[in-house]
Amino acid sequence: MVAGTPSLFADGSRSPLSDPFETLGLAPVFELDSATLERRHRELSRALHPDRYAGRSSGERQQALGRAIEVNEAFRTLRDPVRRAEALLARHGRAVAESGGMPADPALLMAVMERREALGEARRGRDLAKVRGLAWAVREREQRVLAEMGKAFVQLPPDFARIEPLLGELRYHHRFLEEALAIEDELDEKPA
Amino acid sequence: MLLDIFDPKAPPTPLGIDLGTTNSIVAYVSDGRPVALVTCDGTSLLPSVVHFSAEGSVVVGAAALGRATREPARTLASVKRFMGRGADDPETERLGSYRFAAATTEEERRMVRFDTGSRVVTPVEVAAEILKSLRQSALDQLRKVGGVVITVPAYFDDAQRQATRDAGRLAGLEVLRLLNEPTAAALAYGLEKKRNGTFAVFDLGGGTFDVTILALEDGIFQVRSTGGDSALGGDDMDRALAESLLTQMGATDSASRTPEVVSLVLAAARSVKHALTDAEHTEVELPARGGGDVRIRVERAELERLIAPLLERAGRACRRALRDANLAPDALDGVILVGGATRVPRVRAYVAEVFAQPPLTDIDPDLVVAYGAALQADLLARASDDVLLLDVLPLSLGVETMGGGIDKILPRNTTIPAGAKATFTTYADNQTGFELHVVQGERELAGDCRSLARFSLKGVPPMPAGMARLEVEFHVDENGLLAVTARELTTGVTQRVEVKPSYGLDDAEVERMLIDALDQGEGDFEKRRLVDARVESERVLLATEKGLRADADLLEPPERVEVDRAIARLRGVLGGESPGAIQAALDGLDAATHAWAGRRMNRAVQSAIEGRAVTDIERRVERAQGVEAHLAQHAGKAT
Repeated sequence: MVAGTPSLFADGSRSPLSDPFETLGLAPVFELDSATLERRHRELSRALHPDRYAGRSSGERQQALGRAIEVNEAFRTLRDPVRRAEALLARHGRAVAESGGMPADPALLMAVMERREALGEARRGRDLAKVRGLAWAVREREQRVLAEMGKAFVQLPPDFARIEPLLGELRYHHRFLEEALAIEDELDEKPA
Repeated sequence: MLLDIFDPKAPPTPLGIDLGTTNSIVAYVSDGRPVALVTCDGTSLLPSVVHFSAEGSVVVGAAALGRATREPARTLASVKRFMGRGADDPETERLGSYRFAAATTEEERRMVRFDTGSRVVTPVEVAAEILKSLRQSALDQLRKVGGVVITVPAYFDDAQRQATRDAGRLAGLEVLRLLNEPTAAALAYGLEKKRNGTFAVFDLGGGTFDVTILALEDGIFQVRSTGGDSALGGDDMDRALAESLLTQMGATDSASRTPEVVSLVLAAARSVKHALTDAEHTEVELPARGGGDVRIRVERAELERLIAPLLERAGRACRRALRDANLAPDALDGVILVGGATRVPRVRAYVAEVFAQPPLTDIDPDLVVAYGAALQADLLARASDDVLLLDVLPLSLGVETMGGGIDKILPRNTTIPAGAKATFTTYADNQTGFELHVVQGERELAGDCRSLARFSLKGVPPMPAGMARLEVEFHVDENGLLAVTARELTTGVTQRVEVKPSYGLDDAEVERMLIDALDQGEGDFEKRRLVDARVESERVLLATEKGLRADADLLEPPERVEVDRAIARLRGVLGGESPGAIQAALDGLDAATHAWAGRRMNRAVQSAIEGRAVTDIERRVERAQGVEAHLAQHAGKAT
């Protein structure tokens, strides 16, 4: 190993700090009301934020900091549908690693590739409206996947055979939207 | 009244400090209202300028500013721009009259150093002199000062925050909290007006621009998104105007743009900008090329044309912040203006356009941040549960991976305190160590982001590539300060490495500088440690006794015996002269109350979830009535 050269290989895996549903005291369901989630986050922040422990001993402050971090990370996890689904799968002992999933549906892969190509073209042509239009279409598709996923999770036991490919699709959409946003920023920053 | 203020038994007054690029302000809370203290200059704005004289004395404020033109190298202004920056930072190449000391060692390269002729100083030391001056003003007027809240731009990265905290410690202050400037401003408005809703804070200072979207609900300020441009400010307006004036004077080539001429024209540009706040046009007299004077008339429209590209940059950051918060401009309940540059009428009009409403201007934009800091210091000192501030991480944090890419571990706009764990593996066979490079920023390549720390984890037994597992954990505290730990999991060889800052000072360096400073006539270091340990003990004892009154039922009888014994032990050594013995007894009390503290947190969680106590609800009803009364008053004013 050459000294000073980072030699880390990221496999994209994240270990949760805690079970987010337990940390927030919420029932483990996929269709989570965002207002309820936000209210619970505020309530727990009120009880555990380090500012509430400003006059206490350093040990107590550390303890509160650790718990407040868990609460915030749980909130961030459950707000994101991909990570929320992963947390639910983990509770059922299912693998959640991105690379460990089953191969994606060829039709989906084809559609994803076409959209990415269109995005690349819009970027080269500096066509902001086109970028936004593509993102809008993917967002719509994402909503449909989320609705389907909600139904699959409601079944007892959850319909994992349906959920896992849907999760894979959701990740594709997520990444696409992130990229579209970055391109929007780029086009906005350096107007032609 | 005066007797009350100077009561020796009165608790120390917590302070809020706005450590600004151009001016610094110290404020405190009196009868629930923030008040800015008069500084050594006789006004509340202390110019953030420090002069290091040839005789070795240090002058701060207007007096230092007065020496800037005569002794530019000895007089340091706008050092905030260099906080947490390395010697090779691009910021050192921008126009300025600084003389930098050459960095010869790796340690010196980590931080910008100014050569003042008689003394080489770091930005941290310069900022500490400003803070010391503010502390002295507060001591003169309040006699006893408590912990301080120091504000930082929301966009400050970890290195800049570390540097600010170090400056506070170096000035002998107990830094309770670093608070983001826009959040402080919102606190000042929210508390005084008692409004609920979603707000934007538009902060255009001398050298930086920040925009923050935050929501106030149930007494909690939650930052939704933040953005900005760390190289955009009122100074850039002055430069644009100065450029135009120089052209009109005929000073078009570099030969006619001597440092004296440039500084003269920059000062003229600033006064023109100020005059055009109220007037439609103004005139300025400047030396003409080839002798004589030239009178130049500047219309407000001309200034507006010149600053339009700057505002466009600010506008983009605003639109992005709204998008990140998932909001339409007209969904905002108010827009708050911060920073002297927001006095420019065109800036106000532009803000009104971007956010589709006229901005709030009730509080002086120069003082609003210090007011918010003072309110937060007061809340922390009183352990009040009225208001809570939930800030966010301004810039993504990650680790460099093979090939120079980044694995983002915590994305920007994550609510703090924040933490996450990521696992990595080896790239090469028989790799026996990991090199970890921690970076902050939004760019795709590690080389384009801010390098925060590098450290290595050694002693991993040789294994095939991909077998070793390195777990990296990031913790960002409520101040936005990062701590990193790393462990190798597979072999059971668990190593824990605390991150060392690449930029800034480590604890030992701060301690050494503090000893040096105290040796120069500010008292004995051991005495300081003793005083600090006693203050800390008194506070913990007070909190423990309060806890015993509220939650004694959560202690098992044997635990209670232990706690009482630990309290007695601490009281026993408190009158003694050994800071070490006091610290040991304090740690003992900490250990004795650890499990109990956890149970008390559980109870706090339960009551937060199950609904609040009746008195609490009543208080909230009162507050809601306050909002209505305020709105009615406001409506009355409008008609």
